[in-house]
Amino acid sequence: MSPRFLLLLFVMAGLVVAFAPLPVQSVTPQERTIDIDARQYTYSPSELQVNKGDTVTIKLISTDVVHGLYVDGYDVSIEANPGQTATLTFTADKAGSFRFRCNVTCGAMHPFMIGKLTVGTNNWLYRSIGLATLAIFGTVISIKQKA
Amino acid sequence: MKRAELLSRLIVTVAVVGVVGTPLYLWSRTPIIHARMAENGGWTPDVIQAEAGKPLHLKLTSDDVMHGFAVGQMDMEAVSVEPGKVTDITLNFEKPGIYTFYCTRWCGLNHWRMRGTIEVSGSNTDLKPASPPLYVSLNLDIDAPHDATVVPNGQPSVSNGQSLAMDNSISLSHEEYLASSPFEVFDGLKNSSLTEEERWDIVAYLWQSNTTPDALANGKQLYAQNCAACHGENGAGDGVFADDLAATGEASMQTMSGAENMMMQTPVDFTDSARMLGATPALLQGKILRGGMGTGMPMWGSIFTEGQIWDLIAYLYSFQFEYPK
Repeated sequence: MSPRFLLLLFVMAGLVVAFAPLPVQSVTPQERTIDIDARQYTYSPSELQVNKGDTVTIKLISTDVVHGLYVDGYDVSIEANPGQTATLTFTADKAGSFRFRCNVTCGAMHPFMIGKLTVGTNNWLYRSIGLATLAIFGTVISIKQKA
Repeated sequence: MKRAELLSRLIVTVAVVGVVGTPLYLWSRTPIIHARMAENGGWTPDVIQAEAGKPLHLKLTSDDVMHGFAVGQMDMEAVSVEPGKVTDITLNFEKPGIYTFYCTRWCGLNHWRMRGTIEVSGSNTDLKPASPPLYVSLNLDIDAPHDATVVPNGQPSVSNGQSLAMDNSISLSHEEYLASSPFEVFDGLKNSSLTEEERWDIVAYLWQSNTTPDALANGKQLYAQNCAACHGENGAGDGVFADDLAATGEASMQTMSGAENMMMQTPVDFTDSARMLGATPALLQGKILRGGMGTGMPMWGSIFTEGQIWDLIAYLYSFQFEYPK
């Protein structure tokens, strides 16, 4: 096999892995209620995973000072006083990973009080794993051919 | 330089200084109050002088987290005190006296220690002496155990109690309500032909008939803002600070008189029937007014008005009786 043909083959395979449309999984949207504990300077849990279309209700329980929660990309926020559970409900209609952060100044490390909301499956993770495997494979073959 | 030019330069300088400088000077004369967590110093300054009848301008800012500002027993909207921002506020005092101002947004375990005073001077002489609170005139020992010896199985039904009370023409005046515990009223009905369950239902109705939906709503709001962080949103004594309080209590009481005192640091459970049904409204008033004397329960006497305390007490009984909340 000529090296050119092999290169073309690998590039084609790479493009397929990166851009091939996946069969759309039909997940019935559900209602999710998530309790989040907020304290200086962390959320627990700080990583949320929901499916696209889900109705997400976040109950924010603050355990020391006044904290907030603002979801980037969705532009929704709440503020929780200790002792008063704050509730935020929104529909996760945008897929992707979104940062959520505290939007009430809560002390010196306030800017680092962040968490992540993932909506839908993380396709790019699997695609990049596939691409990396292809690249390794390709390198091995080309080295063997030269030898 | 011509004389006219010199003159015009002078006029412009004076005008600029006047327009920019005067408001700046006036603004800088208003005292600025810094708020910090109680562990780091609380309010600075924590004593403010004012005069009755004259408006008091204050500037408030926070040095760490979000705080709030309000003056006790005063009909005012609490303001937020945020780091990096200055909140302007104008207060009017009609009567001379010493007022307590306090933090209204929870800022940690020692939030309630963030208090200060405003000393209002004036020559208003038509001041009435305060009447002693009910628990004092009833001569109650508010630290004595007061548990009810009989408690109902499950929550008494108000609607059932209403018809029973009507049939047997039982009522409870407001004075009697304030001075008696649910258990005492239950015990007072023992010579009737009613069953224990029916007697508790009647007590539940009598307690509801001595409050109003407005009072309960007000009590609920006060409870959420001021009590829930320790006593829990559902009254079970399991608020977000309950564990921290117990830990602090253990640390501070170790050198004192032992395990019994350590227990005092745990917030009271309002869903505990024996405890709540054995308490009179007057007793609860005393506990709220005076506070827990070193247990972590603040004294609310200088913050709440009498009406607010009665509303709060009415709400506390709703953890026992099934009121429409």
